[in-house]
Amino acid sequence: MDIQAYIQSGIIESYVLGIASAEEVAELEILQLQFPEVAEAVSEFSSSIEEYSLKNAIAPPPVVKSNIMAAIKKEQTFPPVISLPTGAPPTADISAKHYSILRMFAAASVILFLVSGGLNLYLYKQYAQKSGDYRALLAERNSLLVNNQVYQTHLRQWQSAAEMMADPAMAMIKMKGTAGREQNLATIFWNTTNKDVYLMPNKLPHPSKGKQFQLWALVNGKPVDAGMLSPDCEGVCKMKNIPQAQAFAITLENEGGSPTPNMQEMYVLGKV
Amino acid sequence: MNNSIVYQESELVMLLKQHHETAFSYLYDHYSASLYSVILSIIPDRELSNDILQEVFVKIFRQIETYDSSKGRLFTWMLNIARNASIDALRSKNYQRSQQNRELTENVYERGGSTQTNTDKIGLRKIVNKLKEEYRVLVELSYFEGFTQEEISKMLNIPLGTVKTRLRTALIQLKQVIKT
Repeated sequence: MDIQAYIQSGIIESYVLGIASAEEVAELEILQLQFPEVAEAVSEFSSSIEEYSLKNAIAPPPVVKSNIMAAIKKEQTFPPVISLPTGAPPTADISAKHYSILRMFAAASVILFLVSGGLNLYLYKQYAQKSGDYRALLAERNSLLVNNQVYQTHLRQWQSAAEMMADPAMAMIKMKGTAGREQNLATIFWNTTNKDVYLMPNKLPHPSKGKQFQLWALVNGKPVDAGMLSPDCEGVCKMKNIPQAQAFAITLENEGGSPTPNMQEMYVLGKV
Repeated sequence: MNNSIVYQESELVMLLKQHHETAFSYLYDHYSASLYSVILSIIPDRELSNDILQEVFVKIFRQIETYDSSKGRLFTWMLNIARNASIDALRSKNYQRSQQNRELTENVYERGGSTQTNTDKIGLRKIVNKLKEEYRVLVELSYFEGFTQEEISKMLNIPLGTVKTRLRTALIQLKQVIKT
Protein backbone atom coordinates (compact mmCIF):
# COMPACT_ATOMS: atom_id res chain seq x y z
CA MET A 1 0.00 0.00 0.00
CA ASP A 2 1.30 3.44 -0.95
CA ILE A 3 0.77 5.07 2.43
CA GLN A 4 1.59 8.57 1.20
CA ALA A 5 -1.04 8.30 -1.55
CA TYR A 6 -3.47 7.07 1.09
CA ILE A 7 -2.69 10.02 3.37
CA GLN A 8 -3.14 12.48 0.53
CA SER A 9 -6.34 10.91 -0.78
CA GLY A 10 -8.56 13.06 1.42
CA ILE A 11 -9.52 10.12 3.62
CA ILE A 12 -7.80 11.72 6.65
CA GLU A 13 -10.00 14.81 6.31
CA SER A 14 -13.22 12.88 5.85
CA TYR A 15 -12.33 10.77 8.91
CA VAL A 16 -11.66 13.79 11.10
CA LEU A 17 -14.79 15.61 9.91
CA GLY A 18 -16.88 12.51 10.60
CA ILE A 19 -18.09 11.93 7.04
CA ALA A 20 -16.14 8.78 6.25
CA SER A 21 -18.12 5.55 5.87
CA ALA A 22 -17.95 2.86 8.55
CA GLU A 23 -15.56 0.74 6.46
CA GLU A 24 -13.29 3.73 5.80
CA VAL A 25 -13.23 4.51 9.53
CA ALA A 26 -12.37 0.91 10.42
CA GLU A 27 -9.59 0.82 7.80
CA LEU A 28 -8.12 4.12 8.94
CA GLU A 29 -8.14 3.15 12.61
CA ILE A 30 -6.14 0.03 11.80
CA LEU A 31 -3.68 1.87 9.52
CA GLN A 32 -3.29 4.56 12.15
CA LEU A 33 -1.90 1.95 14.54
CA GLN A 34 0.39 0.45 11.87
CA PHE A 35 1.70 3.66 10.30
CA PRO A 36 2.75 6.53 12.54
CA GLU A 37 2.54 8.86 9.54
CA VAL A 38 -1.21 8.18 9.29
CA ALA A 39 -1.68 8.97 12.98
CA GLU A 40 0.47 12.06 12.46
CA ALA A 41 -1.70 13.22 9.54
CA VAL A 42 -4.88 12.67 11.54
CA SER A 43 -3.44 14.61 14.47
CA GLU A 44 -2.26 17.41 12.20
CA PHE A 45 -5.60 17.92 10.45
CA SER A 46 -7.42 17.64 13.80
CA SER A 47 -5.23 20.37 15.19
CA SER A 48 -5.81 22.66 12.25
CA ILE A 49 -9.59 22.13 12.51
CA GLU A 50 -9.36 22.85 16.22
CA GLU A 51 -7.37 26.00 15.61
CA TYR A 52 -9.67 27.10 12.83
CA SER A 53 -12.71 26.54 15.05
CA LEU A 54 -11.09 28.48 17.86
CA LYS A 55 -10.31 31.37 15.50
CA ASN A 56 -13.90 31.38 14.28
CA ALA A 57 -15.42 30.72 17.70
CA ILE A 58 -18.63 32.42 18.75
CA ALA A 59 -19.22 32.78 22.50
CA PRO A 60 -22.55 31.36 23.58
CA PRO A 61 -24.75 33.41 25.97
CA PRO A 62 -23.49 33.10 29.59
CA VAL A 63 -26.78 31.56 30.74
CA VAL A 64 -25.96 28.38 28.78
CA LYS A 65 -23.00 27.62 31.03
CA SER A 66 -25.00 27.93 34.25
CA ASN A 67 -27.70 25.70 32.75
CA ILE A 68 -25.12 23.13 31.78
CA MET A 69 -23.36 23.14 35.14
CA ALA A 70 -26.75 22.76 36.88
CA ALA A 71 -27.67 19.89 34.55
CA ILE A 72 -24.37 18.20 35.30
CA LYS A 73 -24.86 18.54 39.05
CA LYS A 74 -28.20 16.76 38.62
CA GLU A 75 -26.51 14.10 36.48
CA GLN A 76 -24.09 13.45 39.31
CA THR A 77 -26.92 13.16 41.83
CA PHE A 78 -29.15 11.08 39.58
CA PRO A 79 -26.99 9.27 37.04
CA PRO A 80 -29.14 8.11 34.12
CA VAL A 81 -29.79 4.38 33.81
CA ILE A 82 -28.76 4.45 30.16
CA SER A 83 -27.09 7.29 28.34
CA LEU A 84 -28.56 7.83 24.94
CA PRO A 85 -25.90 8.19 22.25
CA THR A 86 -28.16 10.37 20.10
CA GLY A 87 -31.68 11.73 20.22
CA ALA A 88 -33.65 14.53 21.79
CA PRO A 89 -32.06 16.80 24.42
CA PRO A 90 -32.50 15.06 27.77
CA THR A 91 -34.86 16.75 30.21
CA ALA A 92 -32.67 15.65 33.07
CA ASP A 93 -34.42 17.49 35.91
CA ILE A 94 -37.91 16.20 35.14
CA SER A 95 -36.85 12.65 34.38
CA ALA A 96 -34.64 12.56 37.48
CA LYS A 97 -37.51 13.57 39.78
CA HIS A 98 -39.95 11.19 38.11
CA TYR A 99 -37.32 8.55 38.14
CA SER A 100 -36.69 8.86 41.86
CA ILE A 101 -40.41 8.91 42.70
CA LEU A 102 -41.08 5.98 40.41
CA ARG A 103 -38.13 4.18 41.89
CA MET A 104 -39.52 4.75 45.37
CA PHE A 105 -42.91 3.45 44.31
CA ALA A 106 -41.34 0.53 42.53
CA ALA A 107 -39.21 -0.30 45.57
CA ALA A 108 -42.21 0.07 47.88
CA SER A 109 -44.39 -2.17 45.74
CA VAL A 110 -41.67 -4.77 45.43
CA ILE A 111 -41.26 -4.79 49.22
CA LEU A 112 -45.03 -4.99 49.72
CA PHE A 113 -45.25 -7.79 47.22
CA LEU A 114 -42.48 -9.75 48.91
CA VAL A 115 -43.95 -9.19 52.38
CA SER A 116 -47.41 -10.19 51.22
CA GLY A 117 -46.00 -13.21 49.41
CA GLY A 118 -44.11 -14.26 52.54
CA LEU A 119 -47.17 -13.74 54.70
CA ASN A 120 -49.29 -15.78 52.30
CA LEU A 121 -46.78 -18.59 52.41
CA TYR A 122 -46.64 -18.46 56.21
CA LEU A 123 -50.43 -18.39 56.53
CA TYR A 124 -50.82 -21.19 54.02
CA LYS A 125 -48.35 -23.35 55.96
CA GLN A 126 -50.20 -22.57 59.16
CA TYR A 127 -53.49 -23.40 57.48
CA ALA A 128 -52.14 -26.67 56.07
CA GLN A 129 -50.79 -27.69 59.48
CA LYS A 130 -53.98 -26.75 61.33
CA SER A 131 -56.04 -28.50 58.71
CA GLY A 132 -53.94 -31.66 59.18
CA ASP A 133 -54.22 -31.32 62.96
CA TYR A 134 -57.96 -30.88 62.64
CA ARG A 135 -58.33 -34.01 60.50
CA ALA A 136 -56.23 -36.01 62.98
CA LEU A 137 -58.36 -34.77 65.86
CA LEU A 138 -61.51 -35.59 63.93
CA ALA A 139 -60.29 -39.15 63.31
CA GLU A 140 -59.29 -39.50 66.95
CA ARG A 141 -62.66 -38.19 68.07
CA ASN A 142 -64.45 -40.65 65.77
CA SER A 143 -62.46 -43.58 67.05
CA LEU A 144 -63.07 -42.46 70.65
CA LEU A 145 -66.76 -42.17 69.87
CA VAL A 146 -66.79 -45.69 68.42
CA ASN A 147 -64.86 -47.03 71.42
CA ASN A 148 -67.25 -45.17 73.68
CA GLN A 149 -70.22 -46.80 71.95
CA VAL A 150 -68.54 -50.18 72.31
CA TYR A 151 -68.00 -49.54 76.02
CA GLN A 152 -71.55 -48.30 76.39
CA THR A 153 -72.82 -51.49 74.78
CA HIS A 154 -70.58 -53.58 77.02
CA LEU A 155 -71.71 -51.59 80.03
CA ARG A 156 -75.38 -51.99 79.12
CA GLN A 157 -74.85 -55.72 78.67
CA TRP A 158 -73.11 -55.97 82.04
CA GLN A 159 -75.77 -53.81 83.63
CA SER A 160 -78.53 -56.07 82.37
CA ALA A 161 -76.42 -59.07 83.40
CA ALA A 162 -75.99 -57.61 86.88
CA GLU A 163 -79.73 -56.86 87.15
CA MET A 164 -80.46 -60.35 86.01
CA MET A 165 -78.03 -61.84 88.54
CA ALA A 166 -79.44 -59.69 91.28
CA ASP A 167 -82.84 -61.32 90.73
CA PRO A 168 -83.49 -63.52 93.81
CA ALA A 169 -85.14 -66.09 91.54
CA MET A 170 -81.87 -66.50 89.62
CA ALA A 171 -79.92 -69.73 90.12
CA MET A 172 -76.24 -69.76 89.23
CA ILE A 173 -74.63 -72.92 87.87
CA LYS A 174 -70.92 -73.01 87.31
CA MET A 175 -69.85 -75.21 84.41
CA LYS A 176 -66.30 -76.39 84.92
CA GLY A 177 -63.88 -77.61 82.33
CA THR A 178 -64.06 -81.32 81.52
CA ALA A 179 -61.07 -83.67 81.88
CA GLY A 180 -58.20 -82.29 79.84
CA ARG A 181 -60.02 -78.96 79.43
CA GLU A 182 -59.90 -77.80 83.04
CA GLN A 183 -58.95 -74.28 82.10
CA ASN A 184 -62.39 -73.70 80.58
CA LEU A 185 -65.27 -72.19 82.47
CA ALA A 186 -68.79 -70.94 81.78
CA THR A 187 -71.68 -69.90 84.00
CA ILE A 188 -75.41 -70.50 83.63
CA PHE A 189 -77.98 -68.16 85.13
CA TRP A 190 -81.31 -69.90 85.26
CA ASN A 191 -84.41 -68.09 86.30
CA THR A 192 -86.26 -70.54 88.49
CA THR A 193 -89.51 -68.61 88.03
CA ASN A 194 -89.78 -68.12 84.26
CA LYS A 195 -87.13 -70.74 83.36
CA ASP A 196 -85.11 -68.31 81.14
CA VAL A 197 -81.49 -69.43 80.70
CA TYR A 198 -78.53 -67.03 80.40
CA LEU A 199 -74.99 -68.06 79.56
CA MET A 200 -71.80 -66.29 80.59
CA PRO A 201 -68.85 -67.74 78.60
CA ASN A 202 -66.14 -66.94 81.17
CA LYS A 203 -63.29 -68.91 79.67
CA LEU A 204 -63.86 -70.61 76.38
CA PRO A 205 -61.42 -70.84 73.48
CA HIS A 206 -62.15 -69.06 70.26
CA PRO A 207 -63.91 -71.65 68.08
CA SER A 208 -62.12 -72.59 64.87
CA LYS A 209 -63.69 -71.69 61.56
CA GLY A 210 -66.94 -73.51 60.80
CA LYS A 211 -67.34 -74.51 64.46
CA GLN A 212 -69.66 -73.08 67.11
CA PHE A 213 -70.32 -73.78 70.81
CA GLN A 214 -73.73 -75.27 71.61
CA LEU A 215 -75.39 -75.33 75.05
CA TRP A 216 -77.14 -78.47 76.14
CA ALA A 217 -79.54 -79.09 79.01
CA LEU A 218 -79.51 -82.61 80.40
CA VAL A 219 -83.13 -83.45 81.08
CA ASN A 220 -83.64 -86.85 82.63
CA GLY A 221 -80.38 -88.16 81.10
CA LYS A 222 -81.15 -86.79 77.61
CA PRO A 223 -79.38 -83.80 76.07
CA VAL A 224 -81.76 -81.06 74.96
CA ASP A 225 -80.59 -78.22 72.73
CA ALA A 226 -80.45 -75.03 74.80
CA GLY A 227 -79.23 -72.75 72.01
CA MET A 228 -76.06 -71.73 70.11
CA LEU A 229 -73.47 -69.47 71.64
CA SER A 230 -73.21 -66.48 69.35
CA PRO A 231 -69.57 -65.60 68.56
CA ASP A 232 -70.56 -61.97 69.24
CA CYS A 233 -71.68 -62.80 72.76
CA GLU A 234 -70.18 -60.38 75.23
CA GLY A 235 -70.87 -60.83 78.88
CA VAL A 236 -74.12 -62.67 79.33
CA CYS A 237 -76.32 -63.96 76.53
CA LYS A 238 -79.87 -65.19 76.67
CA MET A 239 -80.27 -68.83 75.62
CA LYS A 240 -83.36 -70.99 75.12
CA ASN A 241 -86.01 -71.33 77.83
CA ILE A 242 -85.44 -74.60 79.68
CA PRO A 243 -88.34 -75.67 81.99
CA GLN A 244 -86.33 -78.28 83.82
CA ALA A 245 -82.82 -79.79 83.75
CA GLN A 246 -80.36 -81.67 85.93
CA ALA A 247 -77.20 -80.38 84.28
CA PHE A 248 -75.89 -78.08 81.56
CA ALA A 249 -72.98 -78.68 79.18
CA ILE A 250 -71.29 -76.98 76.20
CA THR A 251 -69.90 -78.87 73.22
CA LEU A 252 -68.15 -77.65 70.12
CA GLU A 253 -70.31 -78.48 67.11
CA ASN A 254 -70.44 -77.60 63.44
CA GLU A 255 -71.67 -74.08 62.83
CA GLY A 256 -75.43 -73.88 63.23
CA GLY A 257 -75.57 -76.69 65.78
CA SER A 258 -76.29 -80.45 65.88
CA PRO A 259 -79.37 -82.41 66.98
CA THR A 260 -77.19 -84.49 69.33
CA PRO A 261 -74.04 -83.39 71.17
CA ASN A 262 -70.60 -84.63 70.14
CA MET A 263 -69.47 -85.93 73.51
CA GLN A 264 -65.78 -85.92 72.54
CA GLU A 265 -65.97 -82.15 72.11
CA MET A 266 -67.56 -81.34 75.46
CA TYR A 267 -65.78 -78.36 76.98
CA VAL A 268 -67.63 -77.60 80.19
CA LEU A 269 -70.24 -79.32 82.35
CA GLY A 270 -72.16 -78.20 85.46
CA LYS A 271 -74.77 -79.85 87.57
CA VAL A 272 -77.83 -77.97 88.82
CA MET B 1 -12.42 32.34 30.87
CA ASN B 2 -10.44 30.83 33.68
CA ASN B 3 -6.81 30.98 32.63
CA SER B 4 -5.31 30.41 36.08
CA ILE B 5 -5.09 26.67 35.46
CA VAL B 6 -3.86 25.14 32.24
CA TYR B 7 -4.46 21.43 31.79
CA GLN B 8 -2.65 19.13 29.44
CA GLU B 9 -5.19 17.36 27.28
CA SER B 10 -4.37 13.94 28.79
CA GLU B 11 -4.70 15.35 32.30
CA LEU B 12 -7.97 17.06 31.43
CA VAL B 13 -9.39 13.84 29.96
CA MET B 14 -8.42 11.90 33.07
CA LEU B 15 -10.18 14.43 35.33
CA LEU B 16 -13.23 14.49 33.06
CA LYS B 17 -13.50 10.73 33.24
CA GLN B 18 -13.70 11.12 37.02
CA HIS B 19 -16.56 13.62 36.48
CA HIS B 20 -14.42 16.36 37.99
CA GLU B 21 -16.56 19.48 38.05
CA THR B 22 -13.76 22.05 37.81
CA ALA B 23 -12.26 20.21 34.85
CA PHE B 24 -15.65 20.24 33.20
CA SER B 25 -16.01 23.95 33.77
CA TYR B 26 -12.56 24.40 32.24
CA LEU B 27 -13.56 22.29 29.26
CA TYR B 28 -16.62 24.46 28.77
CA ASP B 29 -14.63 27.69 29.02
CA HIS B 30 -12.11 26.50 26.46
CA TYR B 31 -14.27 24.73 23.92
CA SER B 32 -17.84 25.99 24.17
CA ALA B 33 -17.33 28.88 21.74
CA SER B 34 -15.64 26.64 19.15
CA LEU B 35 -18.40 24.06 19.43
CA TYR B 36 -21.08 26.77 19.43
CA SER B 37 -19.82 27.97 16.05
CA VAL B 38 -19.94 24.38 14.76
CA ILE B 39 -23.58 24.17 15.86
CA LEU B 40 -24.42 27.61 14.44
CA SER B 41 -22.92 26.66 11.09
CA ILE B 42 -25.62 23.97 10.87
CA ILE B 43 -28.52 25.44 12.91
CA PRO B 44 -29.36 29.08 12.22
CA ASP B 45 -31.77 29.35 15.17
CA ARG B 46 -29.94 30.79 18.21
CA GLU B 47 -32.37 29.51 20.83
CA LEU B 48 -32.21 26.01 19.40
CA SER B 49 -28.41 26.24 19.14
CA ASN B 50 -28.24 27.12 22.84
CA ASP B 51 -30.28 24.02 23.63
CA ILE B 52 -28.10 21.88 21.40
CA LEU B 53 -24.93 23.24 23.03
CA GLN B 54 -26.33 22.25 26.42
CA GLU B 55 -27.27 18.83 25.09
CA VAL B 56 -23.77 18.42 23.64
CA PHE B 57 -22.04 19.20 26.93
CA VAL B 58 -24.34 16.87 28.86
CA LYS B 59 -23.51 14.17 26.31
CA ILE B 60 -19.80 14.86 26.67
CA PHE B 61 -20.20 14.55 30.42
CA ARG B 62 -22.11 11.26 30.12
CA GLN B 63 -19.99 9.71 27.40
CA ILE B 64 -16.49 10.85 28.32
CA GLU B 65 -15.72 7.26 29.46
CA THR B 66 -16.09 6.12 25.85
CA TYR B 67 -13.57 8.67 24.53
CA ASP B 68 -10.42 6.90 23.32
CA SER B 69 -7.47 9.28 22.90
CA SER B 70 -5.70 6.79 20.60
CA LYS B 71 -8.39 7.42 17.96
CA GLY B 72 -8.05 11.19 17.86
CA ARG B 73 -7.96 14.47 19.71
CA LEU B 74 -10.55 15.41 22.32
CA PHE B 75 -11.77 18.35 20.25
CA THR B 76 -12.37 16.14 17.21
CA TRP B 77 -14.45 13.80 19.35
CA MET B 78 -16.48 16.71 20.73
CA LEU B 79 -16.80 18.27 17.27
CA ASN B 80 -18.44 15.10 16.02
CA ILE B 81 -20.84 15.02 18.98
CA ALA B 82 -21.80 18.64 18.28
CA ARG B 83 -22.19 18.02 14.55
CA ASN B 84 -24.29 14.87 15.06
CA ALA B 85 -26.51 16.58 17.64
CA SER B 86 -27.06 19.50 15.25
CA ILE B 87 -27.90 17.22 12.33
CA ASP B 88 -30.31 15.23 14.54
CA ALA B 89 -32.03 18.49 15.48
CA LEU B 90 -32.08 19.56 11.83
CA ARG B 91 -33.84 16.34 10.90
CA SER B 92 -36.34 16.37 13.76
CA LYS B 93 -40.00 16.84 12.85
CA ASN B 94 -40.34 19.80 15.24
CA TYR B 95 -37.52 21.66 13.53
CA GLN B 96 -38.84 21.04 10.04
CA ARG B 97 -42.30 22.25 11.06
CA SER B 98 -40.89 25.42 12.66
CA GLN B 99 -38.88 26.10 9.52
CA GLN B 100 -42.02 25.90 7.38
CA ASN B 101 -43.80 28.31 9.71
CA ARG B 102 -40.84 30.68 9.63
CA GLU B 103 -40.78 30.74 5.85
CA LEU B 104 -44.48 31.58 5.80
CA THR B 105 -44.18 34.44 8.30
CA GLU B 106 -41.09 35.77 6.60
CA ASN B 107 -42.95 35.99 3.36
CA VAL B 108 -45.54 38.18 5.06
CA TYR B 109 -43.45 40.37 7.35
CA GLU B 110 -40.00 40.19 5.79
CA ARG B 111 -37.19 39.89 8.32
CA GLY B 112 -37.46 41.77 11.56
CA GLY B 113 -35.91 41.27 14.99
CA SER B 114 -35.06 37.73 14.06
CA THR B 115 -32.68 35.59 16.13
CA GLN B 116 -31.64 33.77 12.98
CA THR B 117 -27.94 33.60 12.19
CA ASN B 118 -26.63 33.84 8.69
CA THR B 119 -24.93 30.45 8.64
CA ASP B 120 -22.95 31.39 5.52
CA LYS B 121 -20.52 33.46 7.57
CA ILE B 122 -19.91 30.88 10.26
CA GLY B 123 -17.16 28.36 10.79
CA LEU B 124 -16.29 25.90 8.07
CA ARG B 125 -19.28 26.95 5.99
CA LYS B 126 -17.56 30.26 5.33
CA ILE B 127 -14.79 28.48 3.39
CA VAL B 128 -16.96 25.72 2.01
CA ASN B 129 -18.97 28.41 0.25
CA LYS B 130 -15.86 29.45 -1.61
CA LEU B 131 -15.48 26.02 -3.19
CA LYS B 132 -16.64 25.25 -6.71
CA GLU B 133 -20.38 24.48 -6.73
CA GLU B 134 -19.91 20.80 -7.63
CA TYR B 135 -17.66 20.42 -4.57
CA ARG B 136 -19.61 22.72 -2.27
CA VAL B 137 -22.85 20.79 -2.68
CA LEU B 138 -21.13 17.53 -1.69
CA VAL B 139 -19.65 19.01 1.49
CA GLU B 140 -22.98 20.67 2.23
CA LEU B 141 -24.91 17.42 1.97
CA SER B 142 -22.36 15.22 3.74
CA TYR B 143 -20.89 17.43 6.44
CA PHE B 144 -23.67 19.93 7.18
CA GLU B 145 -26.68 17.72 6.48
CA GLY B 146 -25.29 14.31 7.37
CA PHE B 147 -26.17 12.30 4.28
CA THR B 148 -24.06 9.25 3.42
CA GLN B 149 -22.15 9.11 0.17
CA GLU B 150 -24.60 6.46 -1.12
CA GLU B 151 -27.55 8.72 -0.33
CA ILE B 152 -25.87 11.67 -2.06
CA SER B 153 -25.11 9.52 -5.10
CA LYS B 154 -28.83 8.69 -5.39
CA MET B 155 -30.03 12.23 -4.61
CA LEU B 156 -27.79 13.89 -7.20
CA ASN B 157 -27.82 10.97 -9.62
CA ILE B 158 -24.01 10.89 -9.70
CA PRO B 159 -22.06 7.58 -9.54
CA LEU B 160 -20.83 6.70 -6.04
CA GLY B 161 -17.19 6.67 -7.19
CA THR B 162 -17.53 10.21 -8.49
CA VAL B 163 -19.09 11.35 -5.23
CA LYS B 164 -16.16 9.84 -3.32
CA THR B 165 -13.39 11.39 -5.45
CA ARG B 166 -15.07 14.81 -5.68
CA LEU B 167 -15.72 14.88 -1.96
CA ARG B 168 -12.11 14.00 -1.18
CA THR B 169 -10.85 16.62 -3.59
CA ALA B 170 -13.14 19.14 -1.92
CA LEU B 171 -11.76 18.23 1.50
CA ILE B 172 -8.16 18.54 0.35
CA GLN B 173 -8.96 22.01 -0.96
CA LEU B 174 -10.63 22.87 2.36
CA LYS B 175 -7.56 21.71 4.22
CA GLN B 176 -5.37 24.03 2.19
CA VAL B 177 -7.63 27.00 2.98
CA ILE B 178 -7.76 26.16 6.67
CA LYS B 179 -3.96 25.92 6.91
CA THR B 180 -3.39 29.38 5.47
